[in-house]
Amino acid sequence: MEALAATVSWDACLIVLPLLGAIACFAWPNAAKKLALGTALAVLVSIASLTIRVTAAGAFRHAVGAWGAPLGIELLVDGLSLVMLSATAIVGLAITIYSAGYFKADVSSRFWPLWLFLWASLNALFLSSDIFNLYVALELTGLAAVTLTALAGSADALTAAARYLLVSLLGSLTYLLGVALVYHGFGSVDMAVLAGRVESTPVFWAAFSLMFVGLALKTALFPFHFWLPPAHASAPAPVSAALSGLVIKASFYILMRLWFEIVPADYSTFTNFLGVLGAAAVVWGGLQALRAKRLKLLIAYSTIMQVGYLFLAFPLAVAAAWRGALYLILSHALAKSAMFLAAGNILYCAGHDRIESLDRIAQRLPMSLAAFAVAGVSIMGLPPSGGFIAKWLMVEAALKSGQWWWAVTLVLGSLFAAAYVFKVVGYAFTQAEAPHTSIDVPAAMEWAALALAVAAVLMGLIAPWILASMEIGRAFPGAAIP
Amino acid sequence: MDRLTLVLWIFDSVTGLGLLLLAGWALASPQLFRGIILFVAFSLMMSIAWVRIDAPDVALAEIAIGAGLTGALLLAALSRLGDSEPTQESMNRPIERSYRARTFRSLTASLLAAVAVALVFLILALPGDSEGLGAEVAASLDASGVSSPVTAVLLNFRGYDTLLELLVLLLALLGVWSLGGLPAQPVSPAVLVLDTLARILIPVLLLSSAYLLWAGTHAPGGAFQAGAVLGAAGVLLSLAGWQVRQRYTGVTLRLLLIAGPSLFLAFALYTIVAGQSLLEYPPQRAGVMIVLLEVAATLSIGTTLAALFVAEGPRNKEGQ
Repeated sequence: MEALAATVSWDACLIVLPLLGAIACFAWPNAAKKLALGTALAVLVSIASLTIRVTAAGAFRHAVGAWGAPLGIELLVDGLSLVMLSATAIVGLAITIYSAGYFKADVSSRFWPLWLFLWASLNALFLSSDIFNLYVALELTGLAAVTLTALAGSADALTAAARYLLVSLLGSLTYLLGVALVYHGFGSVDMAVLAGRVESTPVFWAAFSLMFVGLALKTALFPFHFWLPPAHASAPAPVSAALSGLVIKASFYILMRLWFEIVPADYSTFTNFLGVLGAAAVVWGGLQALRAKRLKLLIAYSTIMQVGYLFLAFPLAVAAAWRGALYLILSHALAKSAMFLAAGNILYCAGHDRIESLDRIAQRLPMSLAAFAVAGVSIMGLPPSGGFIAKWLMVEAALKSGQWWWAVTLVLGSLFAAAYVFKVVGYAFTQAEAPHTSIDVPAAMEWAALALAVAAVLMGLIAPWILASMEIGRAFPGAAIP
Repeated sequence: MDRLTLVLWIFDSVTGLGLLLLAGWALASPQLFRGIILFVAFSLMMSIAWVRIDAPDVALAEIAIGAGLTGALLLAALSRLGDSEPTQESMNRPIERSYRARTFRSLTASLLAAVAVALVFLILALPGDSEGLGAEVAASLDASGVSSPVTAVLLNFRGYDTLLELLVLLLALLGVWSLGGLPAQPVSPAVLVLDTLARILIPVLLLSSAYLLWAGTHAPGGAFQAGAVLGAAGVLLSLAGWQVRQRYTGVTLRLLLIAGPSLFLAFALYTIVAGQSLLEYPPQRAGVMIVLLEVAATLSIGTTLAALFVAEGPRNKEGQ
C-alpha cells in the first residue's frame, strides 16, 4: 500500500478521480450523492498526499503521455498551483457537504455530475503548464459554471446564465486567438518552452492583448464585470460559492502564470493602467454593494471589489505584492464561499434575501449569521484573518515601493467592506413585529458555512506555513521570503 | 504566372470574398431563418478554404459539424423558439431593435472591424514559414502507433486534450438536459419521401462513418468526423419519425454516451495505478488502443450529437 502511495501520481488523480466521479454520477443518478461524497474524500486524500510530496521533494513537472514539451502536454506542480488546488479542495469539500442537503431530489441528480465536472476542470486548469490545454480546461470550467448557474431555473437565473454563456465563450475564444498567434509566432504552446523563446515583438503583444482581454472578461475585471452580479446573485447558493470563490480565480490564475513566465518585461504604463482598473473596481464594487437591496447581490458586488485588489499587484510588481494577491485569492475563496453559503441558508430558511427584512435571522439562524460575520472579518481584512495578512503584504509593498496611493485604495476598500458587512449584520439583529414562517435548515449546511468562515480567519494564524508553501518552485518573480 | 496558378489565384480570391460576403449577410440578416441558411453556406465555403490551405481534417470537421450539425441544431432551436408550431410567417419575422440596441450594435461592429483590420496587418507581418511542431511530430510519428500526424497528435501526443474535449461535448448535453430538455415534439407520420430517403441514406451514412473512423489512422478522418456523421444519421432518423423504444433510452443510452470518455478515463486510471505517466501508451500496443478508443469515442460523439438535436429531457428521450 505504501509502495503504491509512493508511485501514484496524485496530481493526475486530482483530474481523473472527479471526472470518473462525474461520469459515475451521470450513469447512476440514484447513487449520485454517495458517489459525489466519496469522490470529494478521494480528492481530499489526493491533495493531502500531493502536498506532502511537494513539501518534501519540491516542485515537479509531469509529462502527460511521457512525451514532454514541446510535443506533449506538461503538468506543473509548484507552490502556486498547490495553493490554488488546496483552496479548491477545501471549498469544494464544503460545497459538496452543503449541497447534499441543499438540493431537492430532481435538481440534485443534475447537480452532482456538473459540480464534479467543474471541480475536475478547475483542478486540470491549476495543474496545466500548456496554454492550449489551459484553453480546453477554461472552456470546460466555463461551460460547467454556466450550466450550474442555470440550475436555479428562475427567469433571472436563466437570463443571467445566457449572458454568462456568451461572455464566457467570447472570453475563451479571444484567449484562443491569442494562443494561435503565440503558437504561430514562437512554435510552442508550453509555457516553459515559450519562456525561453518569447521576444518583445508586435506579434507577442497582440497575442498577449487578446489573451488578456479574454481572461479579464472572465475574471470580471472592471469594466468587464457587468455579467457577474446577476449570474452570481441568481445561481443556487452552493454554485454562487463556487463561482465567486473559485471560478473567477481560474482565469486570473492563467493571467498570473502568463505574466510571471512568458511576458518579457514589466511595462509600467500598462501595469499602472491595470492598477487604475483595479482601483475603479474597488470603488465601484464597494458603492454598488452598499446600495444593494438583496443579500446575494451585495456579496456579488463585494466579489467585484476583491477582484480589483488582485489587479493592484500588477503595478506593485514586487514579490511581496504577489504573495499578498495569492493570499487574497486563498482567503477570499474561503470567506466569500462562506458568505454565499450563509446567504443560501438565510434564503432557504426565510424564502427571501431582502436585506431590510432580515430581522430575527439572528435568533433563527445564529450559526449562519455568525458565519457571515466571521467571513466578513476576513473580507474586511481585520486581524488575525487571512484577508488581513493579504492586505498587510500588499500595503507594505505599496509603501516600500513609494506608491502610497495603492495603499489608500486598499484601506478604502476595507472601509467599504466594513460598511456593507455591518449593514447586513445590523438588519439581522432588528426585532420583527410579526412572526415569519420559516423552514428548518439542515445542520450540515450551517456547519459547512461556519467551518469555511472560521478557516478563512484561522488562515491568518498559519501564515508562515502558507507563505513558505507558496515559495515552492519559485513561481513568483523577485526574491524569496527572507 | 502560369495558367494553373492564375486559376487557383482567382479561385482563392472568390472563396475569400465569398466568405466575407456570406459572413456579412448572415450577421446582417434581419430574419433568423435566412441567417441560419447563410451561416450554413458560410461553413461550406469555409471548408473549401480549409482544403485550400492543406487542412483536410479541419475541412471534414467543418462540413460535418459546422455546416451539418450546427445548422441542424440552429434550425431545431429556431423551430421551437415560439410556443406554437413554426409558420412561414414566424420564421421570417424581422427582429425588432430599439435605437439603443442599434447604437450598441454599430459600436460593437466598429470595434470588431478595427480589431479585424489590426489582425490582418499583424498576420501579413508574420513570418510565412512557421513550421510549428511539424518536425517534432514527424520525428515521433513512428512511436505513436498511427501514421496520420493529425490522429497522432489528437489521440497520442495530446490525447489528454482530446479526453477533455470529449467531456466538453458530454457536458453540453448535460447542460441541455439539466434545463429540463425540450418538450417532446409531436411525432409526425413519416413523409414518404423522407422515409425513403432515410432508408437509403442511413446505411450510406453508417458506412461513411465507419470508413472515416478507419481512415483516421492513416489519412484525414477520425473519431470526431466519424462521430459527426453518425450523429447526422441519428438526426435523419429522428426527422423521419423514428423513435427509440423506451427501454433503450435509460441506462443503455447513458452507457452509450459515456462509452468514449469512460474508456479514456479507465486508461488514464490504469496509467496512474501502474505508476506511469498519465495516458502513456505502451509503444507496441498504441495502434490497437488508439483504434479502440476511437471506436468508443465515435459511438459517444454520435449519440451525444443526435441527443443534442433531439434535446428532450432525460425522462422521455430518444437516442439512436
